[in-house]
Amino acid sequence: MSAELDEHKVWASIPVGDDLGSLDYVLTEQMVADYRRVVDNPQAAYPTVAARHPANLFYRKYAAVMRVPNMGHDSEYFNPPVAGKRITISGRIADKYIRRGHPYIIVEAVAVDEDGRLIEKSRLVGHAREVGREAAHETIAKKWGA
Amino acid sequence: MMTAQLKVGDQLQTVTHEVTNDKMIEFEKCVWDRGRNSHSDINAAKADGITRTIASGQNQMAFVHELLEKNFGDAWVYGGKISLRYIHPVYAGDRLTATGLVTEVGEVDGKPRVTLQVWCENQDGRKTSAGTASAGQPSPLKSWIKTESGAAA
Repeated sequence: MSAELDEHKVWASIPVGDDLGSLDYVLTEQMVADYRRVVDNPQAAYPTVAARHPANLFYRKYAAVMRVPNMGHDSEYFNPPVAGKRITISGRIADKYIRRGHPYIIVEAVAVDEDGRLIEKSRLVGHAREVGREAAHETIAKKWGA
Repeated sequence: MMTAQLKVGDQLQTVTHEVTNDKMIEFEKCVWDRGRNSHSDINAAKADGITRTIASGQNQMAFVHELLEKNFGDAWVYGGKISLRYIHPVYAGDRLTATGLVTEVGEVDGKPRVTLQVWCENQDGRKTSAGTASAGQPSPLKSWIKTESGAAA
């Protein structure tokens, strides 16, 4: 394990529980319309781009040192967002682990609108890659044959 | 209005979409413009060690959401849970079908809860993402859709 920690120094330096702070934005009618058009679903309830919340918060703090291309998401939806409402998201490092020699970081974000309605909780499963080291998808690309 | 109750072994009505390069690029600009990346720009993809752009995992997630919205209505939008892993790359030109299979019907906190295997597969029948989802029994309501009169659908 110590060799792995030495190999993944930046990953090792990011503490579980680390507060990623919060940010807010207004979900506009145009954003909803754009999303529905792009995913070919004119009635989309629109929670899925919320899966970007964790990455946005993570990169605000760690973009200079770490990339976390997503390998998956674990999400829970409580209320659909309402266009025109301001949404505040807050995040933290929920977990991290090494699996099959690869470091992963789990980034959690919670979204609440201006009326206090809980919108969603989302966890990004990120394949951690230190900036400047091996390409993020190199091993995945080999596995996939891409 | 009645909605059929799901039981173990039921398969959801599927959703199929083609992924295009233009839509992959646009998807990266939705809500937040994420700039050039391996989903939208060939040079960024090469810098990440892959030979061509791949669709965002959230693009697949969108199709699975549509599957669950259509089959569960409000039961999905209010209280749905999903755990999805992206297991094979999706390229421009791929045709993805999102599918769900009911694996368990039970109760959580005294309320009915349906658990499913969910996945997307491409035109060759290869799974590109897979995981589990759960929600209450399907609702006839889709309250997030407003009709022209302003009422919920």
